[in-house]
Amino acid sequence: MPLDHPQDLTIKDFKIVGQRPLRPDGIDKVTGRARFGADMNAPGMLVGRVLRSPHAHARIKSIDSAKAEALPGVKAVVTGADFGAVKDGLDDGMLDVLVNCMAQDKALYDGHAVAAVAAISQTVARQALKLIEVDYEVLPHVLDVDAAMQPDAPVLHEEAADESVPAGFSKNVVRRYEFGHGDVAKGFAEADRIVERRFKTEAAHQGYIEPHACLAAMGPDGQAELWVCTQGHYMVRNTCAALLGMDASQLRVTASEIGGGFGGKTTVFIEPLALALSRKAGRPVKMTMSREEVFRATGPTSSSSIDVKIGMTREGRITAASGELRYQGGAFPGSPVEFGAMSAFAAYDVENVKTVGWDVVANRPKQAAYRAPGAPMAAYAVESVIDELCKQFDLDPLSVRLKNAAVEGTTSSFGVTYGKIGLSATLEAARAHPHYSAALGPNQGRGLACGFWFNFGGETCVSLNVNADGTVGLSVGTPDIGGSRASMCQMAAEELGIAYDKVRTVVADTASLGYNDVTDGSRVTFASGLATIQAARDAIRKLCGRAARMWGIDEDAVIWEEGYAKPAGGNAGSFEPLSLAEIAAVSARTGGPIAGHTEVNADGAGQSFATHLVDSEVDPETGKVKILRYTVFQDAGKAIHPSYVEGQFQGGAVQGIGWALNEEYIYGEDGRLQNPGFLDYRVPVASDLPMIDTVIVEVPNPGHPYGVRGVGETSIVPPLAAIANSVSAAAAVRMTHLPMSPPRIRKAIEEAAGR
Amino acid sequence: MRYEAPRKLKRAVALLSAESGVARVLAGGTDLLVQLRSERIEPDLILDIKRIESMHAIAAERGGYRIGAAVSCAALGEHAGVKQLWPGVVEAATLIGSTQVQGRATMAGNLCNASPAADAAPALIAAGATVAIAGPGGRREVPAEAICLAPGRNALEKGEIVESLYLPARPERSGDAYLRLIPRSEMDIAVVSAGVSLSLDAAGRCSAARVALGAVAPRPLRVEAAAAALIGSDLDEAVLAVLAAACAAACDPIDDKRGTVEYRTEVAGVLAKRAAVIAQTRAGGAA
Amino acid sequence: MVTVKIWGSLKEAAGGRSELRVEAANIRQLLQRLGAEYPRLQPQLKRGVSVSVDGRIYRDAWFTELKEDSEIVLLPRLSGG
Ligand SMILES: Cc1cc2nc3c(=O)[nH]c(=O)nc-3n(C[C@H](O)[C@H](O)[C@H](O)COP(=O)(O)OP(=O)(O)OC[C@H]3O[C@@H](n4cnc5c(N)ncnc54)[C@H](O)[C@@H]3O)c2cc1C
Repeated sequence: MPLDHPQDLTIKDFKIVGQRPLRPDGIDKVTGRARFGADMNAPGMLVGRVLRSPHAHARIKSIDSAKAEALPGVKAVVTGADFGAVKDGLDDGMLDVLVNCMAQDKALYDGHAVAAVAAISQTVARQALKLIEVDYEVLPHVLDVDAAMQPDAPVLHEEAADESVPAGFSKNVVRRYEFGHGDVAKGFAEADRIVERRFKTEAAHQGYIEPHACLAAMGPDGQAELWVCTQGHYMVRNTCAALLGMDASQLRVTASEIGGGFGGKTTVFIEPLALALSRKAGRPVKMTMSREEVFRATGPTSSSSIDVKIGMTREGRITAASGELRYQGGAFPGSPVEFGAMSAFAAYDVENVKTVGWDVVANRPKQAAYRAPGAPMAAYAVESVIDELCKQFDLDPLSVRLKNAAVEGTTSSFGVTYGKIGLSATLEAARAHPHYSAALGPNQGRGLACGFWFNFGGETCVSLNVNADGTVGLSVGTPDIGGSRASMCQMAAEELGIAYDKVRTVVADTASLGYNDVTDGSRVTFASGLATIQAARDAIRKLCGRAARMWGIDEDAVIWEEGYAKPAGGNAGSFEPLSLAEIAAVSARTGGPIAGHTEVNADGAGQSFATHLVDSEVDPETGKVKILRYTVFQDAGKAIHPSYVEGQFQGGAVQGIGWALNEEYIYGEDGRLQNPGFLDYRVPVASDLPMIDTVIVEVPNPGHPYGVRGVGETSIVPPLAAIANSVSAAAAVRMTHLPMSPPRIRKAIEEAAGR
Repeated sequence: MRYEAPRKLKRAVALLSAESGVARVLAGGTDLLVQLRSERIEPDLILDIKRIESMHAIAAERGGYRIGAAVSCAALGEHAGVKQLWPGVVEAATLIGSTQVQGRATMAGNLCNASPAADAAPALIAAGATVAIAGPGGRREVPAEAICLAPGRNALEKGEIVESLYLPARPERSGDAYLRLIPRSEMDIAVVSAGVSLSLDAAGRCSAARVALGAVAPRPLRVEAAAAALIGSDLDEAVLAVLAAACAAACDPIDDKRGTVEYRTEVAGVLAKRAAVIAQTRAGGAA
Repeated sequence: MVTVKIWGSLKEAAGGRSELRVEAANIRQLLQRLGAEYPRLQPQLKRGVSVSVDGRIYRDAWFTELKEDSEIVLLPRLSGG
C-alpha cells in the first residue's frame, strides 16, 4: 500500500471520486440557514462605519473627531494615528496593507478610509461620520497606467520603487520584470510576417455577491474573536495581529460561509478597523461594507496597457515573440504584472521569447488578486495577435496553436521545463467538438484562445477524526469557495472505503488547526485534498494497528481494503475482516481516539491549460454583442466532483464575458469612481448568456495522488482573448480595447469604414 | 421618519399637504427604496399609496384605458385589453428591471421618478398618454411629456399625487413599439431609447405618428420633426433616413458612464427606425 | 555544483549572466549561496522567490534536494487568486 509516497500517482478504480454527490452545504444555502459574514451578532454589539476620502489624491492636514466623539451613542473613533505604534515594526508589504486599510498622511484614492466610528446604531454612526472634520489639501491625481508612467505625472510615493527600476523613470514605476530566452531579433528575422499591436484593458472587479463583513470582539484582557467572510482566516489572523500589535494566539478567527471571493478576499480591509474599534469601545463591533464601498475601496484587478509583437512563418510556426506589459495596481506596488509577463507566452513552445513587465502605481484602490492574477490581460493581447496572423496567412487558428503548443519537455517562456501537461489535449477536444464546425450566420464570428496558469500548493494542515460510531469528522483550514467540502468528503471516503455521507468536513477556526495558506492559487482541491488523503492514510495506519492488536499479530501483517482491515495474507493468520466502524466502536479500549493528521507545504501543483471556443453576433448599427455559443475545454488532471469542476469552468467563462464586454471602472475628471454599483458596473446577467458548455480533459498531475490539478483560475485566462477574437471576426475589425462595450464597438466599426 | 398608508386618496393628499418636512410617495418602491438604502434621501414622511383601492384598477374608458397609479408593470403585462391596444406601452413596462422588479414597479412611479432614461416615458409620450393628478387644489390632467422637467425633478406641486394614467382610444390600423439599447439583456438602464406610435390609412400610408426618445436629453423628448417625416409616407428607406436624421438633430445628450454623445445621437436614429418598422407591422402595414 | 537559471531583470545583479553555478545540495543552501555570491540579489531574495526543481515549483521548502543535473529555475514568488 503506497502510504508513504503521496506523490506517486495511484490511479485506481475510483468509487466515490468522480461521482456527483449533493454538496453538504447545499440545503443551508438554499434555505437561508447558512451564516455569512453579516449574519453573526453579539450582545452589546456596536455598528462600525468608515469615513472615506472623496478625493483621488489629497494630503490629510488634520482630522478633528471631537464633535463625533461627543455625539451621544458614539463609543469609539479610530484614525490613522491609532495605528502609529505598530507602524515601525512592519515590513513594506504589511505597511502597505495598513495604509490601505486606514490612510496615514495622504488619501491615495477616492474611497480610501480616513476614519472609522463605532456607535450604537446605523443612524448615530452615519451622523458621527458627518461630524468628523478632515482638512484635505487636494493634490493632482493620475489614473491611467500610461499617464502614470509619464515623467511629469503626479507622484504618489517618493520611495516605492525597488532596485529593478532603471534610473530616469517616473516614481510611479515601482517594479520591472523581464523573462524569456533565445534571441528575439534573430527570430523576427526568420518570420514571414510580423504583427505588432497595442492593447488596453480596463480594471475589473471580482464582483462577488457578498460584500465584506465581520464581527470583532476584544475583551479588556486583549483576547479577541473575529468572525469574518474571507478566503483565508489564518491570513486575517496574522495580518490583524501584526497591525494591532497582538500575539497571534490572542486572536481567534472563524471564517463564515462566503458569498464569492475570486481572489478579492485574500487580504483585509475592514477587519483591523473593527478590531481597533472594539478594543477602544470595549464592545463587539460589526462592520458591513455597502456595495459602493466594495467597489470604491476593495481590490479590483489591474488595468493594463500591453504591446505584443509576434513573428510567424507562412506555415504557422512562431519564430519569435515579445511583449511589454504595463499594469497599474492601484495606489501601492504589487500589480500582478510579473505573472502577466511570465504567463503571456506560456502556452507555446517559442524559441525566441522576451517579455518585460512594469508595475505602476496610480490613484486607484489597491488591486487584489482576481483568478489567475495578471494572466487574462496578457493572454488577450497575445492570442489576439496570433489570431491576426492566422487570418493574414489564412491558417486555421486551432491548427496553428497545436503546431506551437507547449508539450511535455517544452521549456516555457518563464524558464521552467514542463512535465506532463494537457494543452494539446484541450485543443484536440475542441477540434472534435461539434461547436468547432457549427455554421455561422451574418455578423457572427468565432473566436478561439488558449490560456495557462501556474496553480499553487502551499501550507496546509488537516485533521481527520474517526468517531466511535464509524463516522468521520474532517477539519480543514481552507474556506470553501467552490464546493471543496464535498470534494474533501469524497477523497476521505474514497481512501477510507466508507460512504460519502459518513464524512463531514468543517472549516475549522484558527485555534483548531495549524496554519493554512489562503484559499487561492486554485490550491484547495489539490493541497487540502492531498492533505486529506494523507490524513486518511495516517488514520488507516492507526486503524490497522488497532486491528493488529485485537488479532494479536504484527502491524505490518494488516492491510486496508475497501473499508476493512484484513490480514495481509495466509501467513498473517486467518481473521474476519474488521470494518472501520467495528474498530472505531472499541477504540476507547484499544488505545483511545483514532485520528489522522497532515501538516504539509504542498508542492507539485500541476500547471493547467485551457482552450475556449466562442461564437458571438454583433449588431453593426448599435455595437451590441450577443454571445451565441461558448465551450470550455480544460485539463482538470482528475475531476474529483465533476459538477464543481464544470462550475469553475463556467464561472470563469462568465466572468470573462463580463470583463470582455462591459465591466469596467469608470472615473470622472475629478478622479471619483462613477459606477460603484451593479447597475452601471455591468456583470453579465443570466439572460445574457447561452448555456456554457464544458469538456473536462483529464491529464493526471503526477504531483497529486489522484492526479488533481487546480481548476479555479485557468478558466478565466482565455475568455477575454477568445471573445475578442470572436467579436473582431463578427465586426470585421480588430478590437484592441476592453471592455468591448457597444459604444467602443460601434466606434471601431465606423473608424474601420473610414467614416 | 413616518410611514403612512391611507385608504383614501383624499386623506393621502391631506397628509402630503400637511407635511412640513420632506415627503415622498411610495408606489412600488423600486426607485424609492434604493434611494433610501443608499442614503441619497432621508424623507420625513413616506406615504404608501398601495392601500388605496382605486389606484389598482385598470378600467376601460372612452375606448381607451385608465390605469391606476399603483398598478404594477406585471399586472399591466397580463391585461389582454391594454396589450391589444397599446402593445408598445406594455412592452416598455414589461422590460423594466426583471420579473421580480416588475411585480412591484409602476408606470406612474417610473414617470414621477423623472429619470431621462425611464423606460415607460418615451412609450407613454409616443402614445399620447395623459396623467391625472390629484392635489389640494383638485384634479388636473396633463400630457405624459409634461411630468419630467429635469433629471430627478417632476412637475408635481406640493401635496400632489399621480392618480392614474390614461391611454387613449386609437383608430384601426394603428401600432406602437418601444426599443431601448442596453448593453445587457435585462436589469439595466437605457443608454438610449425610442418609442413610436403610428396609424395607417386604408392604402397603408402613415396618417398619424408620434415619436419620442429617451436618455438623449435632460428629459424624455417628443420629436415632432421625426413624426412629420413619417406622416404621408409608407416608411421607405429614404423616409426612415429622414426620421433618423430628425431624431439625431433633436438629441442633446451628455457623455457619461453609459454612453457618449456621439453614440447616443447615432443610435437614437437607429432605434427610432427599427421601432417605426415594428409599429408599422403591428398596424398591419408592410414590413 | 548546480546550475540555476534566473529571470531577465536579475541578470544585471548577477554580472550579466542568466545561468549561475553555485555549490548547493538543497534549496536553503542555494538561496544562501546566491545571496552571498551575488549581494545585489539580496533584496529580491528577501522579498521572496519560488524555486522550480525539475519542473516542480516550490515556495519555501528549504530541504528540497538539488542534483547536479537538476533543472533549477528561480521565479518570482508565486501566488494566486
Ligand atoms: C433592479 C432594478 C432594475 C430596474 N430596471 C429599470 C429599467 O429597466 N427601466 C426603468 O425605467 N427603470 C428601472 N428601474 C427603476 C424603477 O424600477 C422604475 O422606475 C419603476 O417604474 C419605479 O416605479 P415604483 O412604483 O417602484 O416607484 P417608487 O420607487 O415607488 O417611486 C419612484 C418615485 O416616484 C414617486 N412616486 C411614485 N408614485 C407616485 C405617485 N403616484 N404620485 C406621485 N409621486 C409618485 C416617488 O415618490 C419616488 O420619488 C429599476 C430598478 C431596480 C431596483
